[in-house]
Amino acid sequence: MMVVDVIFYAFAAVTALAAIGVVSSRNQVHSVLLLILTFFSTAALFVLLEAEFLAALLVMVYMGAVAVLFLFVVMMLDMELNELKEQAINHLPLGLAVGGVILLEFVVVLSHSHALPAAASSIPNTLAIGRSLYTQHLYPFELASLILLVALVGAVVLTLRERKSGAKRQNISQQIARSRSEAVELVHRKPGEGA
Amino acid sequence: MTELNLFIQNQGLALLGPQWWPLVWTLVWTLIKIILLITPVMILVSYYTLAERKVIGYMQVRYGPNRAGFWGILQPFADAIKLFCKETLIPQGAKRAVFFLAPALTLVPALLMWAVIPFSPELILADINVGILYVLAISSIGVYGVLMSGWSSNSRFAFLGSMRSAGQMISYEVSLGFTLVPVILLSGSLSLKDIVEAQREVWHVIPLLPMFVIYFISGVAETNRSPFDLPEAEAELVAGYFTDYSGMSFGLFFLGEYANMILISFLGSLLFLGGWMPPIGLLSFIPGIIWLALKAGFLMFVFLWIRATFPRYRYDQLMRLGWKVFLPISLTWVFLTAVGLHLFGKV
Amino acid sequence: MSVGVKGWVWTFGLRELADGLAVTLRYFFKPNITIQYPEERTPLSPRFRGEHALRRDEKGEERCVACKLCEAVCPAQAIFITIDPSSTAEKRLTQIYDIDQAKCIYCGYCQEACPVDAIILSQNFEFYAETREGLVADKQRLLGNYERRKESIDANLLADARYR
Repeated sequence: MMVVDVIFYAFAAVTALAAIGVVSSRNQVHSVLLLILTFFSTAALFVLLEAEFLAALLVMVYMGAVAVLFLFVVMMLDMELNELKEQAINHLPLGLAVGGVILLEFVVVLSHSHALPAAASSIPNTLAIGRSLYTQHLYPFELASLILLVALVGAVVLTLRERKSGAKRQNISQQIARSRSEAVELVHRKPGEGA
Repeated sequence: MTELNLFIQNQGLALLGPQWWPLVWTLVWTLIKIILLITPVMILVSYYTLAERKVIGYMQVRYGPNRAGFWGILQPFADAIKLFCKETLIPQGAKRAVFFLAPALTLVPALLMWAVIPFSPELILADINVGILYVLAISSIGVYGVLMSGWSSNSRFAFLGSMRSAGQMISYEVSLGFTLVPVILLSGSLSLKDIVEAQREVWHVIPLLPMFVIYFISGVAETNRSPFDLPEAEAELVAGYFTDYSGMSFGLFFLGEYANMILISFLGSLLFLGGWMPPIGLLSFIPGIIWLALKAGFLMFVFLWIRATFPRYRYDQLMRLGWKVFLPISLTWVFLTAVGLHLFGKV
Repeated sequence: MSVGVKGWVWTFGLRELADGLAVTLRYFFKPNITIQYPEERTPLSPRFRGEHALRRDEKGEERCVACKLCEAVCPAQAIFITIDPSSTAEKRLTQIYDIDQAKCIYCGYCQEACPVDAIILSQNFEFYAETREGLVADKQRLLGNYERRKESIDANLLADARYR
């Protein structure tokens, strides 16, 4: 039906325009917000391609977590745009090279895979992805999760600071576990005896 | 109903022709369905605000609002009129576009999630097969309204409030998500309808009671409600991320928050309390939607009950609870559920 | 500092939270103690210090003798008095007697200082004005305040007299 096509191209246009906005916007926060819009309209494209699972994951992981952290950093940092621009010119050759490689890969992949597997109609795509991940691609999948785990541990190690010796910290479970008998002592004294 | 439908169809075909009519009809019919869903939700939201003030009032041996109409029944309308009539102030130095986008981005995801909530086996706007993932995905968008409002207000209070709130929301989303995994494992489906159907014999709350408790507490934190209402800790941050909002743009944040609370209640009763299933077979003569309403209503009451009871958490305690208590427990339970399912041969 | 099995069960059973919830639930069903103000009122003491009034004596003459003790004692300097130039040694009268009710702190010192029981604070606390000027009560208004609630003012003075 052509309605779906119209909606698809509308979302595709939004994606492209937002992506251009990401790199051309002068305000970094606006850039990140446009990046989020790009993620969202990409998710909408996935939905239109009947890949609901991928769409949900994209929104959950990229919009719900990754982009929030971007936004956090960009909002907190006081960035000097001019300095960034000067640096950007220095990095131009490298950036162009990487961009060129990615473009080349796209062209190669797109020109060699006319037979992209159509969304299987009989089984839900969640099931299809699950089967593919846990049978065909089990080892790469496990390897990827191992890399993520290493990164996770690395992040913990990097941010874990030993407190200065002698610094007091709150130990909540210890506080809660205190009972009346440990904390209070009732002493009976006659008047005039003193403590 | 079908006759009316046919009549409209024929008239429309005659008027617009077979090219355009189906398109227009689809759009109009979808719009009508959306309005039929959103209107009750908004009415529920407005009366939930009244219920909150009443319940907390009675718990503090007060009456709560009882002047506008009998038993305060018109209070939500009075509040709405007041909010509509108030001037919308824009702080100096605010980023206008983002400033006005933020309240909308808080309310819209809260309403979007209702699309996949099944009220009975038939009564569901969009029966998609990844319903629960859809809810999680959309709920993660809600953070942006908070972040954008705090940043665009150009105010320290709002910014600090939004930072806290966003940190809190993404932290508790993790444990919230993990409490749902055992439910998905037990039901073997991501569709909310199938999950409810899977509870025909035993409600998920029985094998997954700790998950239900963590789900609910995380839900309270996710919706920034007391005792986790740090973003709007009045004592320190005035009103948190919506400090600089007034009039209806403030109202939108409010509506979003309450719509989210009601959603968490409905989702909780669908995922853990058996949805529209009666507690015992004998009571099945009562329609399922009433059972669902009763269960969700109870959870909504618990939201208010908690607010009337507990003092506010400190921020580091909140983070500690989320990451060091809820996350390990829910991960362990995911593991145990999977092992149990494997051992007892359900998979 | 061992917590024991019981302690663990209490902690993970959210025992203390349940205790708290039980308290609020108990109060939920208790009768409310709110006074529905315009319809229901709490009793007021005869000494209650509300809106000011200037009393008249039995013959209907103003009691105030323009001694200005109240003006002197007023800690908020809310009272302003001038003497009527036609005053004689037998009969002194005020020309202006203004009380700024916005300045007044309702301490009742003027009433205590008054040698002739002229200025008093009545039990009325329901008065308002839409401007600051409206809160400056002149002599006519103060006398009128007395006229309007003569009985209750005199009765309250009588009830309180034996403690003074």
